[in-house]
Amino acid sequence: MTAVHQFVPALLPRDATGDHTRALRDALRSAGWDSDIYVEAAHDELQDEATYFEEYPARARPGDILLYQLGTSSPVAEFLLGRDEPLVLDYHNVTPASFYEGWEEHTVAKVALAREQVASLAPKAVLGIADSAFNARELDALGCPATAVVPILVDLHAEAGRDERERARLAADHGDATVLLFVGRISPNKAHQHLVEALFVYRRLYDPLARLHLVGPTVTPAYAEAVFAFADELGLADAIRHGEGLTDAELAAWYEDADVFVCLSEHEGFCIPLLEAMRAGTPIVALDAGAVGETLADAGILLPTARPALVAAAVARVRSDEALAASLVEAGRRRLADFAATTTRQRFVDVLAAIVDAERVVA
Amino acid sequence: MTPDAPAPADGGNVDTATDVADRIRYLDEVMAEIDAEVRKRRASGDLPAGLERELDELFLEFSPVGLQGRARLRETLSLVDGSAYVDIAVPTASNKAVGSYIKRAVRKGLGWYMNFIVAQIVKFAWSVSRMFHVVVDHIEDLEATVEAHRSPDLPAAVVPAAHTGATWWAPAAAEALASVTDRVVVGDCGDGSLVEVLGAAGVDAYGVDPSDLALEPALDRGVDVRAESVLDHLDVVSGEALGGIVLTGSVQWLRPNEREHLLDLVSSRIMVDGVLVLHSTSPEAWAGAASPVVRDLAPGRPLHPETWTHLLGTRGFSVTATVRGGDDRRLAHVGSGATDAATVNAAIDAINELLLGPTEYLVVATRVR
Repeated sequence: MTAVHQFVPALLPRDATGDHTRALRDALRSAGWDSDIYVEAAHDELQDEATYFEEYPARARPGDILLYQLGTSSPVAEFLLGRDEPLVLDYHNVTPASFYEGWEEHTVAKVALAREQVASLAPKAVLGIADSAFNARELDALGCPATAVVPILVDLHAEAGRDERERARLAADHGDATVLLFVGRISPNKAHQHLVEALFVYRRLYDPLARLHLVGPTVTPAYAEAVFAFADELGLADAIRHGEGLTDAELAAWYEDADVFVCLSEHEGFCIPLLEAMRAGTPIVALDAGAVGETLADAGILLPTARPALVAAAVARVRSDEALAASLVEAGRRRLADFAATTTRQRFVDVLAAIVDAERVVA
Repeated sequence: MTPDAPAPADGGNVDTATDVADRIRYLDEVMAEIDAEVRKRRASGDLPAGLERELDELFLEFSPVGLQGRARLRETLSLVDGSAYVDIAVPTASNKAVGSYIKRAVRKGLGWYMNFIVAQIVKFAWSVSRMFHVVVDHIEDLEATVEAHRSPDLPAAVVPAAHTGATWWAPAAAEALASVTDRVVVGDCGDGSLVEVLGAAGVDAYGVDPSDLALEPALDRGVDVRAESVLDHLDVVSGEALGGIVLTGSVQWLRPNEREHLLDLVSSRIMVDGVLVLHSTSPEAWAGAASPVVRDLAPGRPLHPETWTHLLGTRGFSVTATVRGGDDRRLAHVGSGATDAATVNAAIDAINELLLGPTEYLVVATRVR
């Protein structure tokens, strides 16, 4: 039986890469292939679904194809470099080390290692699958012999409950004030300082009571401290709310509560929160950086720079032009359909089937 | 296989080409109106020139990235010092009386062992800390030496004025950028005349200039300009976000390290196939015509166009045109019937070449990789 086994550094629940890996395993099994998940570490909840990667050699079978979920540095990469089986990379991008310089030196070293591992693996792979054309271009540049763009598997069409109590609490907190929302880990490449600057200018020019809601874990504490101290200095401490560790239902409430989703990230390999905003029907204003433009397509206002006056004017336009906001939301719903899980699952199977067939011919 | 976009989902989500074109046109119009709104706010004074730069600078004050030289070194050193001491007095408080008793007993029982280990760790940590102090002291000595050789700033009164009004090279710049559809930034744009010329030619241009005073006429006319230096501006622009860049003014006398930094920024901010237009005074004209104070105190000198061609080539640009122009004061040849005409004309050629040739030039380059 054909086997496509996945390798992933960490298998975590409620995590984009973890969910993607498990969904892809199910899709591969549905297609009639053997598929197991090998990991460096797995969360307690998922121990039964994962096998330690160094146990693979004892289970290896002729004809196996190995698929590596690549988004961080890991000993798994070194392990796969030493294997002879055909290797497929599923590349989710690695943030360039330069974003962390001065903020967190150990992260600089970690992502630099991850980038070295991508560079070593790309020429060895028989195929690089990328979430976006932006990511595919990186693999191409590193000498990957073939690439294909297949979005990450996220089931955004499943009915997401909304925490009504959380929604009411948020509404009572900000009243009629405009609410700008961004969802993403607090990390230098996400450029939260530009969001704070935009809020400052927006309050000065359009709505003195406007709020900025930030959702996401603090992964670079020094950067988060600087962002919040900056906001404090500008007199915005009371205008910013930070949500962390939210449930799916609470997160849905934060999305639906917001007037505009604003993304000013300077580096994104795909940007799932854009799709979440589309699902919630929240109009989007975003900086055209990394893969944001291609993920968003025409479902939002795409800005050439993150200059605060431009961001503020774009948000004000979306707020004041109901027809524009409605058209963006409608375009978002159409765009979301392009990422339907059923379509993406089939695309993964088709792309991998071509590799399986090619390897059979070689054998 | 080649990269392709996600396939549309089945059923009713396939827009016609007309729908897509209409929608792109609509969003472009909205974006143009948003740009116009920003310009209007700037012109009205609601958005003071320089506010955005001040916000960026304020954030840097809270950022370790923004701490420069001595301050950053000393802050890092204080972190090393602070973590070099290891406290062996383990807390023994507990919610339960027996817990506290056990903890105290363990601490007491292991004290001799921990003391021995920790003494060595602390000794090592202090050695490392001391080494860093020596290094930092040495670096500060070096900085002081470098500072002693720094040239003074140019007096504002002698800095050549920013461009105003029409220039001989504006039509050539507009022609070079005519095919660029993405945004184009004009550095040291002065009163915004060139930005307007480019705009009239259909180029999506905006300007930057560090001088609020120079920008006032542009702001009065509603031209899209920002009060910041081209270096500061390119620093915050996203990678490959610009279709074109026009450099003039200060690019002629940047310090060598600033010029290198500018070239790095230009080559990373401009997209592949983007166009760079660089205008400069010729070195010969600079030597002959610039103010003596500027010549003596300027941190850098104008380069020859051949040098720019070389520097740009190392950064993935291909120079497509070099145009000379400006104030041409070349002497005419004497008639062939004049005494020693050949000798005199050779001398005139030499003088023209060295002193009286076109005073300025324009280099047009395309980023090819």
